[in-house]
Amino acid sequence: MPMRGSFIRVSAKRAMMIAALAALALQTAGGQSNDSKSGAGAKPMAAGTAGAAAGSNASEVAKTLKTAAEAVGLARWSGVGGQHLPEVDVINTMEIWGSGTTYSPAPSSKSGEPWTAFKTDYHVALGYNPPAMRVEMTRTPAGAGAQGGAASLHTIEVVHDVYAWDESEIGADLVAGKGTATPVMAAANYRFLQLWILPYGVIKAALAAGDKTKLSTENGATVLTFPLSGQLAGVTVKATLDSQHEVAKVETRSDNPALTDLATETEYSDYADHGEIATDVKSPGHIVRKQGGHPVLDIQVKMLDANNPYLVFPVPENVKKAAAH
Amino acid sequence: MATHFRFRRGIITAALLCLLPAAVFAQNNGGPRMDHENTLPPSPTGPTPRTQDGHPDLTGLWNGLADNLLGVPNQMHNVGIEVGPDSTRDIHSGVQIATWPLQNRQRQNNEQNERAATLLRRMGSNRPIYKPQYWQRVKDFDANSNEEDPSNNCMPAGVPRMGVPSYIAQTPTYLIFVYPGQGGLIATATSYRMIPTDGRKHTNLEDLDGTWNGEAIGHWEGDTMVVDTIGFNSTSWFDQLGGYFHSENMHVIERFHRDGNTLTWTATVEDPDVLLEPWTTTPRVALLNPDPKAVLLESLPCSERDFAHVVTKEHH
Repeated sequence: MPMRGSFIRVSAKRAMMIAALAALALQTAGGQSNDSKSGAGAKPMAAGTAGAAAGSNASEVAKTLKTAAEAVGLARWSGVGGQHLPEVDVINTMEIWGSGTTYSPAPSSKSGEPWTAFKTDYHVALGYNPPAMRVEMTRTPAGAGAQGGAASLHTIEVVHDVYAWDESEIGADLVAGKGTATPVMAAANYRFLQLWILPYGVIKAALAAGDKTKLSTENGATVLTFPLSGQLAGVTVKATLDSQHEVAKVETRSDNPALTDLATETEYSDYADHGEIATDVKSPGHIVRKQGGHPVLDIQVKMLDANNPYLVFPVPENVKKAAAH
Repeated sequence: MATHFRFRRGIITAALLCLLPAAVFAQNNGGPRMDHENTLPPSPTGPTPRTQDGHPDLTGLWNGLADNLLGVPNQMHNVGIEVGPDSTRDIHSGVQIATWPLQNRQRQNNEQNERAATLLRRMGSNRPIYKPQYWQRVKDFDANSNEEDPSNNCMPAGVPRMGVPSYIAQTPTYLIFVYPGQGGLIATATSYRMIPTDGRKHTNLEDLDGTWNGEAIGHWEGDTMVVDTIGFNSTSWFDQLGGYFHSENMHVIERFHRDGNTLTWTATVEDPDVLLEPWTTTPRVALLNPDPKAVLLESLPCSERDFAHVVTKEHH
């Protein structure tokens, strides 16, 4: 881009500076609700005035959630003409890049045997309004469970509304001749769970749960317990905050035998603004997850774009048709 | 140290420029204010004046919350985020958004204000659906908008990015739209459109030289003025934020509906070359300037950006 500053007339610059200073003077004087429209997946809950939760310790819950929301940069306001607006939850879309290890059971493995480890490149695109997530992984067998010479496995798993599907390439089957989208409706619950147990999802879901969100203390740490809703109804979340009010640990469980695969335990640490473009949104730099007691994920976050980037999740027609059947 | 200084100077200059429209419009009685306590559309008052041929009269100075450039409340309104005193919702998805009442908030520095503003402007769900092969391009354009935004170098914003005209003059056979250029980070050049409403048809697309504003023709559908435009170049972006590029085959249908002292504007963008489906903007509601003596102020010269001083990708 050519350097053009020298062409600005001095008088124009002066006028603009005066006007800008005048504007400054004037200024000085002066869980998302997964509502009924947002489909399944722990239907965006929350909403309304976040400080209005009822219950015996409602004000403490509200105060804790606001502090947690501010700690990760979710509750925000701006002085750029918005200094008289309330704070709102600004987190919608987000993109995460990381690498590490994922684990999955080998087809022939028996109960109790360790799962196979894969070196994994991890890329997530997600949105909370409406709830949707695309997880792209390139996995190469590694460690004790590795198969010699095995090729890398590339997967793209998507969930949006009531639909879950796998893509052979990003945006598969939206344009004729561009990839294949394979419906996998049975995977929708677990995929949505991954969205709602991220730190931002936890705060949104806890806000959405309203007076069902309970506050307690365990070993000196603040703990929030609340139920998910929508198609994840029956799942209870227990979130432990660290001393910086960041979500440090998230446990999910269900008494429903049909949802036992949603029993997870995730630890988040090394919070920082991991954006190439600074956003003041803090994200964990290290994510470790277990499912049903098995390690499933150990990822170091390399970069996170929280600037509400352009991420869309249109549902391919064949996936809609499969769901209708 | 020098880099740090340049960074801070860039941010401070950017913040000052972003506030520029406030000063410009503060001189305009009845014009927009910068101290919105919500982003709800204004409610209409008064009768809807009509011309001799019986159509609503769109003539007047229009401004208010619908303006593109006047701060975060306007921009949130424009992307469909309705912030009320007690709750916030996305009017497109219906999703309710957590809201914390205004309290004794800590003062933020310019960087914090700008970073929050960038998020607030983009939190809406109403996004055009591009063909998958263009998803990364849109994202890159938006992330690098300091350098990529075609309006940054005083080029026209184009249609429909210009949004609601600040002045409309209506005759039986023409509409005249005036869009004053504005300073600020999203600088735009002054532009006008002369739109026939005499029943003529479009020129064949292949006979048109593509331009920023295209060839517009208006007609009435009931009490709604529909302006149909084709014949664009592919230089502009079609919304204020987001890096939403388009092809020369873009077709834009704008709808203007006057109700009392309000004017509601929407634009539908059809571009089968790059979009999977047509996309419609959030309705923007402009208020009539109540001062019969009000005039449009002269726009400040559009100043091209000195990118040598931009050492960050933080953007509007």
